[in-house]
Amino acid sequence: MNQTWVLGQRALREAWRTPEAILPTLFIPLFFLVVNVGQAARIFPSASTDFLNGQSYGAFQLPASLLLAASFGTAALYLVEDIEGGYFDKLRAAPVSRAALVLGRLFAEFVKGVVIAVAIIALGMVFGIEIASGPLGFVLLVLLTALWAVVFVGLLQLIALKTRNAAATNSGSLIFFPLMFLTPNFVPRELLTRPMEIAATFNPVTYLMESQRSLILDDLDWGTIWPGFAVVLVVGAIMLAANVRLINHYD
Amino acid sequence: MSGAAVEAQGLVKTYKGRGGEVEAVKGVDLRIEPGEIFGFLGPNGAGKSTTVRMLTTLLTITRGSATVAGVDVARDPDQARRRMGVALQEAGLDPRQTGRELLVLQARLFGMGGGEAAERAGELLRLVELEDAADRLIKGYSGGMKRRLDLASALVHRPEVLFLDEPTTGLDPASRITVWEEVRRINELGTTVFLTTQYLEEADQLCGRLAIIDGGLIVREGTPESLKAELRERTGLSHDPTLDDVFLDATGRTRAKAEGAVSEVVA
Repeated sequence: MNQTWVLGQRALREAWRTPEAILPTLFIPLFFLVVNVGQAARIFPSASTDFLNGQSYGAFQLPASLLLAASFGTAALYLVEDIEGGYFDKLRAAPVSRAALVLGRLFAEFVKGVVIAVAIIALGMVFGIEIASGPLGFVLLVLLTALWAVVFVGLLQLIALKTRNAAATNSGSLIFFPLMFLTPNFVPRELLTRPMEIAATFNPVTYLMESQRSLILDDLDWGTIWPGFAVVLVVGAIMLAANVRLINHYD
Repeated sequence: MSGAAVEAQGLVKTYKGRGGEVEAVKGVDLRIEPGEIFGFLGPNGAGKSTTVRMLTTLLTITRGSATVAGVDVARDPDQARRRMGVALQEAGLDPRQTGRELLVLQARLFGMGGGEAAERAGELLRLVELEDAADRLIKGYSGGMKRRLDLASALVHRPEVLFLDEPTTGLDPASRITVWEEVRRINELGTTVFLTTQYLEEADQLCGRLAIIDGGLIVREGTPESLKAELRERTGLSHDPTLDDVFLDATGRTRAKAEGAVSEVVA
């Protein structure tokens, strides 16, 4: 645990010293929020759109921006840099738990996820979005976003460890597009066309998005909230097991 | 330390390639005594780095066994890592940390508390004369400074055996001599040094004993003097052979001299 903490601190220092890698994580999701709201808000006026529960269309779009921000983790690319530069071997030659080598970066990604989620939600609140589920809902929303950031970057770390190549790792992040857009991104699932609804039902990110949306638009509705956490825990457990297995067999 | 500082028996490493298995190291036997500076030479692709990576727990051993400071590197890699320091080719450093941060981090990974780690980092920065640059980001260091910092980071836990894989490759002559001085100083403090190099002059200057590997097998082993004497006796050379002559002879290469120019020809 101590080694994970020490390596996590190093990864956080690295992030602090490369603000140019963090700023797009904040800017691009906000850009998409503004653009999506600008394009569709007049179709869904808050007064006559039931699924908005009296809030603006921006509140409905906020989860998409949070998930977009959570998918911009840099840990996998920094890991490839460590591998290519030889520092990863330096760490492997120390008596460090192999799991700590990947967990340290994931811990840092969680902290970054919390900071970015708080910043985006706070900005949303400045522009009138309310978190209907209250302070506990706010905490759960931040937690869910940060945990997904860890899961997503952990999946990219698998590609980094397997290929040891920056281009391949970068290409791996393209999986974000089907995951993000085969979801009820613009309207609730029941309003999607049938093929899109089927695709969204099989996409685990749908449940995350619906969970986040519920935390923003509804009182604490545990029936909708828990599937999001279940997705993060199940996919996260698989991701962690695969990372540890891969690093234990890293030659 | 009782027994050998480094011992390898029948060390083999095979890789799976497209055309079947490739044997990079074909059965290396080594014994290095405590306190030695041992040179490990060989042409590119001979198996030097693969052998070092197996000895330092970075590569799994296909067959055979190895101990460092009496600890089996395959059976108890964590304990072996505590006894050895490793500075690999291309100083592996994190450019976004300062020299001091890197050493403190390394010390903490070896189990030191915050205060002790900071103190040890200070000692090492003095040892490698990097105090003035200690709080600068490593990305601004010169090649020689990076090498010295890499050496310092390999020493953070006071290892019994230090592995240096081509520690002076790419350095200018002045930086190379500084690294040699560091290596001698470290050895005088009691650390066994296992050094791979492509520079025969470096091996001649630093190493009490050396081995030459070619095609994954050790083809010569002994002190520089004994290897030169053996070559002179065996070939009846009229002049005193250099370590270059020993290396060329051991690796099946010849040196053809034509009108003062020297060219290397594979036999």
